[in-house]
Amino acid sequence: MAQDEREPVTLEPAACCICGGVDGTPVGVGEDFEHRTSAHSFLTVRCPTCDVIYLDPRPTMASLGTIYPDDYPSFAFDEAEFGIVHKVRSRLEARRIMRAGKGLPANAHVLDVGCGDGFHLDLLRKYGPTGWQLHGIDTDPRAVAAARRRGLIVDGRPIEQSEIEPGSIDLALCIQTIEHVADPVAILRAIGNLLKPGGRLYLITDNTGSPDFKITKGRHWGGYHFPKHWYLFNKQSMRKLSAASNMDVAKLSTMTSPVNWTYSIRNALVDWNAPSWMIKQFSLKAAPTLAVFTSLDAALSVVGRGALLRVLLRRPQ
Amino acid sequence: MTAASPPVVVLGGGIAGLLTAHELDRHGVAVEVYEAGPRIAGMAASHTDADGFSYDVGAHFVTNRFMAALGMQVPCRTLPRYGEVVHLSPKKHPVYPIGLLGVPRFVRSAVWEKVRRPQRDLLVASDRFRHDYGRKLADEVALPLLEAWSGLPADKLSASVIDKIPTGLAQTIWLRIAQRITKRAVMIGYCKEEPSATGVFHVYPEGGVAAICQHVADGLAQPVHVGQAAEKIYTDGERVVGVRIAGRDIETHTVISTMPINRLPQLIEGSDRLDRFRRFQFRGLVLVNLKLTGRALLPDVIVWTPHGFPYFRVTEAPLAMPWIAPDDKTMILCEFGAQPGDDVWAMTDEEAVERCVSTLDPLIPDVRSRLLGARVLRQPLGYPVFALDYEPDRAALAAEGTGIAGLHSVGRNGEFDHILMEDTFWRLRRRIPAIARDHQCCSVVATSNQGVSDEHSPI
Repeated sequence: MAQDEREPVTLEPAACCICGGVDGTPVGVGEDFEHRTSAHSFLTVRCPTCDVIYLDPRPTMASLGTIYPDDYPSFAFDEAEFGIVHKVRSRLEARRIMRAGKGLPANAHVLDVGCGDGFHLDLLRKYGPTGWQLHGIDTDPRAVAAARRRGLIVDGRPIEQSEIEPGSIDLALCIQTIEHVADPVAILRAIGNLLKPGGRLYLITDNTGSPDFKITKGRHWGGYHFPKHWYLFNKQSMRKLSAASNMDVAKLSTMTSPVNWTYSIRNALVDWNAPSWMIKQFSLKAAPTLAVFTSLDAALSVVGRGALLRVLLRRPQ
Repeated sequence: MTAASPPVVVLGGGIAGLLTAHELDRHGVAVEVYEAGPRIAGMAASHTDADGFSYDVGAHFVTNRFMAALGMQVPCRTLPRYGEVVHLSPKKHPVYPIGLLGVPRFVRSAVWEKVRRPQRDLLVASDRFRHDYGRKLADEVALPLLEAWSGLPADKLSASVIDKIPTGLAQTIWLRIAQRITKRAVMIGYCKEEPSATGVFHVYPEGGVAAICQHVADGLAQPVHVGQAAEKIYTDGERVVGVRIAGRDIETHTVISTMPINRLPQLIEGSDRLDRFRRFQFRGLVLVNLKLTGRALLPDVIVWTPHGFPYFRVTEAPLAMPWIAPDDKTMILCEFGAQPGDDVWAMTDEEAVERCVSTLDPLIPDVRSRLLGARVLRQPLGYPVFALDYEPDRAALAAEGTGIAGLHSVGRNGEFDHILMEDTFWRLRRRIPAIARDHQCCSVVATSNQGVSDEHSPI
C-alpha cells in the first residue's frame, strides 16, 4: 500500500481552541475510513465550557503530508472525473458566494483562505465582476500548485506571514477550512487583520448541530473526516469563536449539503466490511445518492438544522 | 509560577501512576513518579513464555476508545468475540446476563421477590442480591460467586458491592446485535465511567498491556524514577508537606498514591486520619494457567462456575485473543479465591494444577490428555472486599478522599474499587483538573509572603 512509504502519523495532545481547556469529554472514536492513511483510532471530545468538538490527541504538523493523501478532493475536484456533480456544485456554490459579495465595489479585493485547488476563486473569476482582485492562500504545496495551474495568484505561506496588506481585503472566504487548522482563533484574527474595517468574512464549516451528527457522532459521522478535521462547531460555539476572534456575527444560518450524510453511511459500510458495490453507492460521484440527501438536508436547513454552518462575520468598524 | 512550585509526587509506576503523570503533564503541572520496584508497569506486566503463550496478570480490558485517547501508536488488534456464560449444568450454559432470563425458575423467583417486597434500602449484599435478582438466581449463582471472590459470607458484605448495571436490557440486546454485524467484541458494560456504544470495542495492543505502560511512560515530560520506594509522607496534620523517598526528603504539597489504600496509613506522619483504612482487605487470587492442545474447549471466553468447582471462574482467553497461544493450542485459566496464608494460597503449583485437572471434566472431558504444561501465579491484590464492618469508611473514601489535603489515592488499589483500566483513566481525567488547580493555588500561597492567592496562575 502506498501509505507504507509515507511518514508514520505521530500525535500530540490538543486543547479547546476557544478556552484552552483540556478536559473534553469523549464523543466519538473512529478511524481514517476514507483514505486509511494510518491504522490509529482517533478520539473526538467536547469542551464542556465551549461546546466545541475537537480531535484529541491529533496528528502533529509533521504528519500533515501523510494524513492528506494526493487524491484528497480539495487538491483534485476535477470536472472530467466528477461530471454532473461538479456542474451542479459549481452552479450552487457560485450563487452562494456571489450573494456573500453583494454590494462590493467593482475593484474589490477578495481573499480565499485555504483555497485548495482554487475551485471557489475560479468561480468568482467566471461569474464575478471582472474588476475584482482575487487572492488565494493555502499552506499545502500540492493545493498551491493545483491553483496556480488554473492561473490564480496563490500565496503558500501561513496567513500570519502573508504579504497581503493589512486592512486591504473587502471580502474573505474561509470555506471548509477552519475545521482543518490547529488554531482557528489565530486564523480568524489574522483574517480580521487583513480585512478593511467593516470588511466581510464568509465562513462555511460542518455543523455539529445537525441531525446527522446526532445520529452518527459515536463513530461514522462524515464531518469528522478522521483525522483531518480538528475543530468542529455548532451555532453556539461558532458565536463564541467569533467573539474570541474579535469579529462581529452579521448572519449565522445553516446550509444544505449532502456530503456528510453520504459519508456517514459510507463510513459505516466501510467499517462493517460491506460489499464494494454497496459502498460505491455512497460517494461524491454517486449523483442519485447526492440528490436524495440534498433534498433531505434542504428540508433540514429550512428549520436551521442543515449539514453546514454558514456564517457572515464582519471586522468591527 | 508553575516552575516555582515543587512537583507533584506520584507514588507507583504502574498504569495508574503513569496515567496520573500523563494527565498532570496535559495540565502543565510538574510531576515526578517514583516506583519502588525495578521497572514500570507493576500489575500490568505482560509475559511471553518459551512455548509462545503470553499472559497478563489478571484480566485487562482495553477498548479502542481508551487507546485513541492515549494516542497509542502501537498497532492494536480487534477482539473478534468476547462473552460470558454461567455453568448451571454440563449441558446448560446460559449467556450472562441476558441468557439467565431464559431460565424460568430464575424469572419466577425474581418476579415474586419484586411483588412480595417493596424496594427499600438494603444495606447487606445477600439481602440486596435476593431482592434485585430473586432468591433462586441469587442463591444459585450470584451469591456463591460473590462469596468465592470476596472470601466472606454474603451477609457480611455491603450491598454497595453490586455495580449499577451500566447498560439496560434493550441496549445490551442492541450491542449484541452490533457484535454480530461487526464481528467485533463490542464492549458491553466493562466501563462504568463512559457509556457503551456500538463503535467502542475490545482491542489489544501488540506487546500486551505492558506496551500501553511503555507508551504512556515514553510520552511523559520526566522519566519515572525506578527502584525508589516511598518511606514517609509528611503532613502538618491537615495537608501534605513532603515525602521521604529512598532516604531523601522531598518538599511537596501534593502526593498522589497508587499503592493499596490499606498500606498507605503506614507512611503517614503527623496525622492518624488514614488509620481507618488499615482494616480494608483485598482478596487474593491463585491463577492457574493450563496450556492445552486444541482450541474452543469452553462454550465461551468466560465460564462462571458457582457450584461444583474449587475455582469460581474458568477463562479461555485465546477465544477472544487467538494470537496469545500457538495455533491449535489454547490456555485455560482457573481462578481460585484465596488469602495469603490460607490453604488454597499455600498449595504447591503441582497441587494447584492437579486440583484443576481433576475437576475440569464436566467442562473439558479429556483435559488430562490435552495438558502440555501449566503456570501458576499468585496475586495478593485480586479484589477489594466490601465488608460491612468498614463500609462507612469505604463510602467516605469514595466520596471525600483521604481526609488529608493534597493527598490523593487513585487507581483500583488506591480507590479500593472494582474498576478497570479505562475507568481509572476517565476518573483521573475528571479528577486531575481540580488536583492541578489545588496544587498551583497552594504553590502561589506558599511562594508569596502575603499569601495572596486570588489570582490563579494560568497554565
